[in-house]
Amino acid sequence: MSVPLVRGLRRGLGRRLRGGLELSLGLGLAGLMAVLIPLRDQVRSAEPSRIDLHDRFAPPGTAGHWLGTDHLGRDLWSRVLEGLGWSLGCALAATATALAIGSLLGLLAAERPGALRTVVRQTSSLVMAFPGLVVAICVMAVLGQGFWPLVLTLGLLTWPVFARVVFAEASGILARDYVLAARLTGASAVSILRGHVLPAVGPTLFVVGAFHFGEMLIAESALSFLGIGAPVGVATWGNMLADSRQYLFNAPWMLAVPAGAIVLAVLAANLTGDGLGMRLRIPVRREALQ
Amino acid sequence: MSRTVALRWTRFAAVHLRDLLILLLGLTTLLFFLLRLAGDPAVVIAGADASAEQLAEVRAAYGLDRPAWQQYASYVARLARFDLGESLISARPALHAVLEVLPATLTLAGLGMAATLAIAVPLGAWLGAHWPTPARRATASLLFFLQGVPGFVIALVLVQWLAIRLGMLPALGFGGPSTWLLPMLSLAGFLAPRLARVIATNVAQAMSEDYIRTARASGAGPREVLFGHALPNALLGATALAGTQLAFLVSGVVVIEFIFAWPGVGWLLIESTRTLDFPVVQAVALVVGTLVFTLNTVVDALLLKLDPRLSAAGSQV
Repeated sequence: MSVPLVRGLRRGLGRRLRGGLELSLGLGLAGLMAVLIPLRDQVRSAEPSRIDLHDRFAPPGTAGHWLGTDHLGRDLWSRVLEGLGWSLGCALAATATALAIGSLLGLLAAERPGALRTVVRQTSSLVMAFPGLVVAICVMAVLGQGFWPLVLTLGLLTWPVFARVVFAEASGILARDYVLAARLTGASAVSILRGHVLPAVGPTLFVVGAFHFGEMLIAESALSFLGIGAPVGVATWGNMLADSRQYLFNAPWMLAVPAGAIVLAVLAANLTGDGLGMRLRIPVRREALQ
Repeated sequence: MSRTVALRWTRFAAVHLRDLLILLLGLTTLLFFLLRLAGDPAVVIAGADASAEQLAEVRAAYGLDRPAWQQYASYVARLARFDLGESLISARPALHAVLEVLPATLTLAGLGMAATLAIAVPLGAWLGAHWPTPARRATASLLFFLQGVPGFVIALVLVQWLAIRLGMLPALGFGGPSTWLLPMLSLAGFLAPRLARVIATNVAQAMSEDYIRTARASGAGPREVLFGHALPNALLGATALAGTQLAFLVSGVVVIEFIFAWPGVGWLLIESTRTLDFPVVQAVALVVGTLVFTLNTVVDALLLKLDPRLSAAGSQV
């Protein structure tokens, strides 16, 4: 599955060099963050959860805490790095879940008309009509906090975005003459999907996926901020923002550091999506959810 | 003619009513099985530290000792009579608790939408009307940046800015106009960039259409071309995207109510999830689902009424 996707992407990328600035900025930022995740133990300045009550509210620039410390004297740079893995991992896993379910159902619906298609379309419009964040809050309240409950909730509530895109693109391609020709020469449904449909749908999936990643990041941090996403005490950006609420006056950097991290990460995703969309000339209609 | 129009509206109403019922059934089914999937619902309802007698009491009161399908049937039957159970905290009907705080939420949503429109429509028209100049490029980049800033971050930054720069702590809660300003601005700061970008794209697209050239050729000035021809069409397209905007509005409202202690539906939802007041949580989900659906239906109806192309194409679903 991944090979035809990449082939389609590469074919698209070769076409025209538009959106280069957005793409390189976005991919650069994303690459930087991706590199920081495995290296976080090396570049951090302290243990992220180490409490040091002598060093509370140290402003940015303090020796040993270049981004400052929070109300418990924990090093903000180390905590932001810790949250990087958590937040990006969660957003990535949620996007992957939604993408996998959505494209599978979208392909099935495009390939098999009839009852299956009706069921997929009805289900996807039902899930899309859910007030997303409200349902996510209800589900998280019952399932309890944690990484996988969060990933599954977000993924299972947002897959219709991908299902719709894949269905629309795939049914367009399945109606082409060359697909009919392939069918007549005896190609199986699977090989048609692999050889013709996926390479064509792939680039769009990357673009929609990049934007979706940004949405998932916002949703994850919002839920953690509300106290029902990440477990309390884990260093995630949403939890850090929740901590900062009490100290907006004394320690504005407690707000600025995680807020900046979220904005940069979402910006990286949006820039990548926008640049990719421009370069591949995909008319991007952002079907955002959260 | 009028008969076909009436028929079309009847069909429109029937289709949307059916979809609303499907939505509500879907939501309740999800919540019903979720509660059972997560473990013993009696424990969720009575609380983790409930005694054995309390658990037995809850099981009997909610019929949890019966088979699952019987529970589901009676649950749906009760919902059909608008009986959403009672709050576990205040012992009042859950639906009342939600409807009581609904006006505050509607006020906030209305204020936020008004501010959003007041910012986004002129900005979008200005951005899309002409070829990009440096000022427009810079504004467009700023909008792109703001689009990636979550609403609650905007709200926190506004609070922070007021607290530090102006030395005043913002008023919390739902009182006079002084409490309206920040929540309203936070919502608009979140929604307006998205909407302005959509309007700008639509205006730019409209400006290259044939009817604009025709209007120009027949002597319309730039102002008339923009406000009389391009903008109305662009807004029509933007209204079609209102469904996604509404979803944003609702999620934005939930978080912003939480930050500003605005006693609305979102605040109630967060409070009830904290206390595990499940009947209220469920009532919130159903009321908000109905609300969003109704607003979407109104938007659909408006579009059908405003856009002759849609009604010419027959019923749209």
